[in-house]
Amino acid sequence: MSSHSHHDPLEKRELVEADIRERTYVPEILKGIALTTKHFLRNLFGERDPNPDVVDRKGLATITTVNYPEEKVDYPPGYRGLHRLVPREDGKPRCVACYMCATICPAQCIYIEAGEYGGDDEHAESRVIEKYPKQFVIDELRCIVCGLCVDACPKDAIRMDTYTHVPSEYNRQGFVYDIPKLLKGPAVSHPSDPWYKRGSSAPPDHVHKEAHTRITAGGAALAKRPPLVEVVKFAKP
Amino acid sequence: MRLGVVFVSLGLIFGGFFALMGGAYALGGVVEDFGRTHGVSGLASLTNILILMLMIVMVFATLLTLAERKWSAFMQDRVGPNRARFPGLPNASLAGIPHIVTDVFKMLTKEAFRPKNASKVLFALGPMLAFAPVFALFAVVPAGPTLKIFDHPVMMVSTNLDFGLLYLFAIASLAVYGTSLAGWASNNKFALLGGVRASSQMISYEVALGLSLVGMMIAFSTVKLAGPDGMSEMQMQYLWSTRVGSFDLGLPAWGIFIQPLGFLLFFAAAFAETKRAPFDSPEGESEIVGYFLEYSGMQFGMFMIAEFVEVVVLGGVIVAIFFGGWSLPFGNEWLMNLAVMKQYPILLGAIYGTVFWGKTLLLVYLQMVIRWTMPRFRYDQIQKLGWQILLPVGLANLFVSGALILWDPSLRALALFGFFVIGVFAFLTLTPPKQVRQEQEAADDHHGGHGHAAPAPHDDHAALPASTH
Repeated sequence: MSSHSHHDPLEKRELVEADIRERTYVPEILKGIALTTKHFLRNLFGERDPNPDVVDRKGLATITTVNYPEEKVDYPPGYRGLHRLVPREDGKPRCVACYMCATICPAQCIYIEAGEYGGDDEHAESRVIEKYPKQFVIDELRCIVCGLCVDACPKDAIRMDTYTHVPSEYNRQGFVYDIPKLLKGPAVSHPSDPWYKRGSSAPPDHVHKEAHTRITAGGAALAKRPPLVEVVKFAKP
Repeated sequence: MRLGVVFVSLGLIFGGFFALMGGAYALGGVVEDFGRTHGVSGLASLTNILILMLMIVMVFATLLTLAERKWSAFMQDRVGPNRARFPGLPNASLAGIPHIVTDVFKMLTKEAFRPKNASKVLFALGPMLAFAPVFALFAVVPAGPTLKIFDHPVMMVSTNLDFGLLYLFAIASLAVYGTSLAGWASNNKFALLGGVRASSQMISYEVALGLSLVGMMIAFSTVKLAGPDGMSEMQMQYLWSTRVGSFDLGLPAWGIFIQPLGFLLFFAAAFAETKRAPFDSPEGESEIVGYFLEYSGMQFGMFMIAEFVEVVVLGGVIVAIFFGGWSLPFGNEWLMNLAVMKQYPILLGAIYGTVFWGKTLLLVYLQMVIRWTMPRFRYDQIQKLGWQILLPVGLANLFVSGALILWDPSLRALALFGFFVIGVFAFLTLTPPKQVRQEQEAADDHHGGHGHAAPAPHDDHAALPASTH
């Protein structure tokens, strides 16, 4: 405050003398009561808005609580949730048991047992690919949700776009997810998929979904928003 | 929708007060009538104990255990407890009201633990001694006028003592035994320290507590609380009054107007006696554990309910001493002379009783809101506040009030002084503190100096004369 403060560093540390309003307590307490009462009345008469979006909040109440089990907040776009094994159009997993995800997984929570398609078994239309997972197991308790498996997968066969977290279980075995538990969600196919490359079949007549389904599929929050990536239409060859 | 729920709840609360007070008057009339035929009078005191103390105060205090949790939640932008429900209803459907039942059930079913070497008798005596005097305080507080019901005068007070305020002081100081006994009998050093803190705080503030009411005693020349010659009813008299037709309008001689300092001192001192935040260093539930550390189950529940009973009783006492008791600020004469009121005195009693409990509810809210606004005082701050602020201010207030009453026995000079005090506090509240003002001025100067060629250091900048820009 005074010019002495430049010379004496200690003087800066002296306590600012309390104002008469603070020393008599009453005015400051009255202000505090006014503030607390304002919040009390707003929350007493105002309806609580369970909308988690802070900027969209309207109404009197200042309570920001979302009553969790009854009301749920949508996870944000790009949320890395529970894994899923992406199915093909025929319902089988897209996975070709290449072990990329199991190899990159820093928590080593993925276990794959590969099977091989025989030369003349009933999976005739699958013969273009040689391997499939006999077992595909993720221990969700070990998973550190880093998403490296999704990046590593060359076949877009594992995704974390379920927009849910791992539900609670009563025993550890419940967190070990096998193929029946993992295989869910919308089917995905790409023009480059090997089973379309057989001589007998033509590429499918649909848009190339790879780019935008990766981001938007399963995200309820995103349904209302414009697509983040423009859909690229592939011309028929 | 929510507005409707709030107003229906308020209606239920006040309707409850109205019905209970009407019932209290009717019951009082009936037992007085019964007593008169058997040659005894004053039986209404017993029914007043039943209805005023056991029903209204106890239920009020029980509801406050939940109200404090919900109110504090609203003040802090939380939802508050809402999970308890009755079987078959969805979650949060009753806004947590069944928590009253679950809390009581929890207290009753918990083990009443006693430390190994604790004194058996004194340990059990602690919570009772903490609860009983607090509860007994309400006996002298009038909750309504004296009315003729079924041709018998019925007083709305449990006992009409001539020495009402002295009874108040005497019984209030008994509560210290419960806390210090609880601390000592627990055979625990932390509990003992808490008990010592409690007793030193309560004894220190008793001085200020007594002193703060002497001004009111001088003003009305009585220590009596109830009855036509009691302090509570004498506050109905007008300092300045006028009439609009048959409606009387004016400024009543309420304690808050003629003794605002006395009110502040009494409120602060009584707050310290209740040991609630900001004066809760004897308890310090979460960190500096207090005198009821070793108590569990319903024995702890006794301490807790004693605290809430004390909140209600303190609200009632302050209403009776400083807020005109059960009377309305104006229009009392008009209301009492209405034909319908003369015909049905029970109706009049129920109205005035509702006014009394409504005022009490406001003061209970005030205590709750202070508890959730202020942080706890440190122990040395408590003692400093009690001895170095409340006591000297109380003495000064006593001398000034005494002089003004001597000079002008009509209390008008006292009221003018009271308004001066209220005005000073209002001015201080509405103007910003010095530091804030300086910062604002500095900010203004800074704004004016914008565009100055060489920005000076902040300290010097504020000192630059305005003409240089």
